[in-house]
Amino acid sequence: MSPAEIKFYFDDQEVIGLTGQSVGAALLANGDRILRKTRFNEKARGVFCGIGVCFDCLVVIDGLANQRACITEIKAGMKVQTQAGADA
Amino acid sequence: MRSPDAIVIGAGVVGACSALALTNAGLKVLVIDRGPVASGTTGAGEGNILVSDKEPSPELTLALRSRDAWFEVNADIDGGFELEDKGGVVVSRSEKGIADLKKLAALQRAAGIDAQEVNGAELQKLEPFISKNVEFGVLYPQDAQCQPMLAAAQIMRAVRKRGGAFVQGENVISIDSINGAVIGLTTDKSKYSSPIVINATGTWAGEIAKLAGSDLPIMPRRGFILVTAPAGKIINHKVYDADYVANVASGDADLQSSAVVEGTASGTILIGASRERVGFKNDLDVSILRQLARQAISLFPVLENIQLLRAYRGFRPYAPDHLPVIGEDANVKGLWHAAGHEGAGIGLAPATAELITAQITGRKTFMDPTPFSPARFVGANHVAS
Amino acid sequence: MHNVVIVGGGPAGLSAALSAAAAGAPVLLLDSNPRLGGQYWRQPDESFGDQGSQHFDLETGLLLINAVKARKEIEVWSGAQIWSATHKDGVNTLRVLVNGKEKIINTGNLILCTGAYDRTLPFPGWDIPGVMTPGGVQSLIKGHGVLAGKKVVVAGSGPFLLPVAAGVVKAGGSVVELLEANKSRRWITSLFVVLENLSKIKEGFYYIKTISEAKVRARFGYAVVAAHAGVNGELDSVDVAKINRNFKIKKVRNVKCDVAAIGWGFTPDTTLAGTLGCKQIVAKDGAVVVSADSNQQSSVAGVFVAGEITGIGGSELSMAEGVIAGLSAAKFVGCKVEVLKAHRARRAKKQRFATALINSYPIKDGWKSWVHQETIICRCEEVKLKDLHYAIDELGATDSRTAKLLTRCGMGMCQGRICGRSVVDLVADQLNVSPTDTDRISAVNRPIITPISLGQLAAGE
Repeated sequence: MSPAEIKFYFDDQEVIGLTGQSVGAALLANGDRILRKTRFNEKARGVFCGIGVCFDCLVVIDGLANQRACITEIKAGMKVQTQAGADA
Repeated sequence: MRSPDAIVIGAGVVGACSALALTNAGLKVLVIDRGPVASGTTGAGEGNILVSDKEPSPELTLALRSRDAWFEVNADIDGGFELEDKGGVVVSRSEKGIADLKKLAALQRAAGIDAQEVNGAELQKLEPFISKNVEFGVLYPQDAQCQPMLAAAQIMRAVRKRGGAFVQGENVISIDSINGAVIGLTTDKSKYSSPIVINATGTWAGEIAKLAGSDLPIMPRRGFILVTAPAGKIINHKVYDADYVANVASGDADLQSSAVVEGTASGTILIGASRERVGFKNDLDVSILRQLARQAISLFPVLENIQLLRAYRGFRPYAPDHLPVIGEDANVKGLWHAAGHEGAGIGLAPATAELITAQITGRKTFMDPTPFSPARFVGANHVAS
Repeated sequence: MHNVVIVGGGPAGLSAALSAAAAGAPVLLLDSNPRLGGQYWRQPDESFGDQGSQHFDLETGLLLINAVKARKEIEVWSGAQIWSATHKDGVNTLRVLVNGKEKIINTGNLILCTGAYDRTLPFPGWDIPGVMTPGGVQSLIKGHGVLAGKKVVVAGSGPFLLPVAAGVVKAGGSVVELLEANKSRRWITSLFVVLENLSKIKEGFYYIKTISEAKVRARFGYAVVAAHAGVNGELDSVDVAKINRNFKIKKVRNVKCDVAAIGWGFTPDTTLAGTLGCKQIVAKDGAVVVSADSNQQSSVAGVFVAGEITGIGGSELSMAEGVIAGLSAAKFVGCKVEVLKAHRARRAKKQRFATALINSYPIKDGWKSWVHQETIICRCEEVKLKDLHYAIDELGATDSRTAKLLTRCGMGMCQGRICGRSVVDLVADQLNVSPTDTDRISAVNRPIITPISLGQLAAGE
C-alpha cells in the first residue's frame, strides 16, 4: 500500500501532496518554503515549530486567514494562499 | 524624594495625568504604586475616550474638556501612546432604540457635541463590514481611542524627565495627618512627608481613604474584553449598540453587556463592555465571552471567522451615583481624591487632573467641580443605586 | 459516562489510559493530533507503510497505540483541541473543538499529559524560512515523510539533537553540521545512572551509529549564532561560532545550508494545567512545570499529571509516570487498585537518568550576547530587543509582564509560547536582576488555550 496523491492549490498553482500530510509538509515537499509575509515588516515566514505551537506558518485556507499550515491536513481541491499580513 | 510638594498614589492613567498636570504647574511630585505602571484597571481597559455615551451632565462637560485635553497631552509629551481621532458610531436596530438615540443625540448637540445622524447607506460607507440590517446610527467624530498602558507609561516618563519621581513596589500602609491635615504617608518600606496626597487608586480608593480615617464608597465592577487575532483594517470607528449607553447608567447588579467593537493600531479587534457587580471575582466566565461574541458578530458578521486570542477582565471603580470622585476629602485636609471613573477613567483622566491641579494650586477651574466633590457622600447611605 | 478523562496521546497519555482502563475505569482520551503517539511516536498516515526505520523503538509505541485502540473501555477523540478549561468546585470543564465543533466535557477526574515543545532562543535571522526547531524537522519526517531540506545544520543543546540528525540521514538528507553547545558529556561520569538505564544508552548509541555511518561528526562547544537569507528570502547560510563555557562567541565561520534545526531542550506545555489552577513551579533549568505528588496528583484534587509537563524526562519517564497517574486516577474514582512499589521504583530510576541528562546540558547566559538590538524577539508581533529595552529604560517597566504589555512582545498568535521564556530572561538581564518564579509562571499562563473563531465561540452553550 502506498499513500494516495491529493491535488490542491497554492496561490493558484496545482500542488500534489500525499494522504495525511499537512499543508505545510506538502508545500515544503513541493519546494514552497515561504508561507506568509508579516504584517509590519513584510518579512517572509515559513514552517518553524512544525507542531502547531508557534503560529508562524499561517496561511489562508479556503478564504480563512490565520490557519496553521503545519497541522491542517490537505484535502483535495483545497485552496491555500500566502497570507499577507493579517488579511484573508 | 522624601519631601515632595505632592504625592500621587497610583500610577494608572489618572495618577499619571495628575502627576503630569501638577508637575507642569511647578510642583515637585512623587508617584507611588504598589506595582508597576498601569498594573491595575488602566492595564485592563480598552482606551475609550468617549463623549458619545454621556447625557448632558457635569460628566459630559468633563468628558468634552478631557477629550481635547488628551490631544494637548499628546502634543505636550510627544505622543507614543497610539492616540487616534477615530470617532464613534452608535447604532440601534429597534424602533424605540432609534427614537431614544435620536433624542439623546439632539440633547448632546445642544450641549456642544458633534453628533451626526447617519442612515444605512452612510453607515455602510463609514463601516463597510457592518451588518446590512443596521439602518440607523449616530456618528460622533469627537470619540477617540488610545493605548491606555502606553499612555500611562509615556506620561510617567515625561513626569520623570521633568523632575518628578516614581517609586514602584511600595504599599501605602498609612496616610499620616495632624489635626485633620495630611503631613505625609508611610509605606511598607519608607516614610514620605508632603502636605498633599492624591488618591488615584481607582478601585482601591476606598481602602486608601480608610487609611486616612475617612470614607469613600468606591466599588468594583467587572468588565471583560475580548481581543482577536490581528485582522487587518476591518473596523474604522468605535462601534456600539445604543443599549450600551443604557447599561453605563444602570445600577443593575446582573450582567449587562452590549458589545463595543473597535480595531486597534496593532491590528487586533477589541470587543468589550460587559459589566457585572460581582466584587473582585476573577474567574473566566465563558458565557460572557460567548455573549460578547454573539453581539459583536451581529454588528459585524465578518467577525465570525476571526479568532479570539485573549480575554481579560478589569475591575472598574464606581461610586453609588456613577459619577467620578474628584476633589478634597471632606474630613482630611490635603487628601485629594481622583477616582471612581468606572469605565471612563481613560477618557476622563486629563480633565480630572486639571480639575485637581487647579483646585490644589488655587487657580480657576474650567468647570464647577462641586458635582464630583467627595463631600457629596457625607451622611449619605452608601447603597448603590 | 467516562470515569477518567486523559489529555494527550503520547507516551504518558497512552500509558495512563491503559493502566486506568486495566484497573477498571472507563477512559476518554483526547489527543490534538490526527494519530496517537505524540511527538515521540509520531507517524504518517498508515498508507505510508512501516515506519520502524525512523524510530529507535516504534514497537513499544505500536504496542501501546494498538492496545489503546483495542480496549473497549477507552474512547479516543483525535484532532481534539481544548480552547478553554476551567475548574470549579471539583469539576473540570474542558471546552474542546473536534472537527470544528465544540464539545464540552465536565469531569472530576482528569489526567493531563500535554507534553512539551522545543525550547528556542532568539538570534539574528531566526525568523528566516528554513530556520526550524529540531522537533519541527523531525515531525515533518516522522509524520509526513517530508525532509525539510537537503543540507541540514542541526544545532543547539541536548540529547534530542542526535535522533533528529539521525532522522535526517535516514530520510536521505545530509547533516552538514551537528553542533552541541555544551563541551563535555558529563553524565557518563555517573556510572550508576548509566548502568540502571541501559536502554537509554542503547538508544543513544543507535543514533550515534546512524550518524557516524553517514560520516557526520558532532562538534562540542559550537553554536549557530546568526542566520542569513538568500535573495529569495529563504535560508542561505548560518554563522557557526565556537563558544566558550558560558556560550560567549569566540570565533565565527559561515556555513551554507537549506535548513537549520536549532533547539535548546524543551519547554513543558503547562497551559492547560495552569488554567485549571494546578500549582506550577519553576524547575532548576528555569522551565515552568506542574507540581505533582508521589501519586502524580497535582495541587487540584482529582487532576493528575504525567510526562513532560512535570519536568522534562523523556519517553520512558513519561510512561512510568503515566502508569502511576492512570492507577491513581482509577483509585480516585473508586477502583480497587494500588500504585505498587515497583511502579515508583521504575519512576525513580528514570527520574535519576533525566536529572543527570538535564544537568549535562545547561543553557548558559552567554546566549544573550548573540542577540542584537535589531534582533526580533517576538516573532508574531515583530518586537525587537531594542523595543524591550525602550520599555524598560524609558517607560519604566520593572518586570517582564509590564514590558510585554508595553511592547506586545509575546502577545501575538502564539501567545508567548515561543518567546515568553526568553523574554523573561532578557528583561531580567536588562534590569540586572534574576527572574522571579512569578515572572516565569505568569509567562506561560493564558486563559484562551488555543484560538477559537468568534463564530465557534458564539455557537457554544
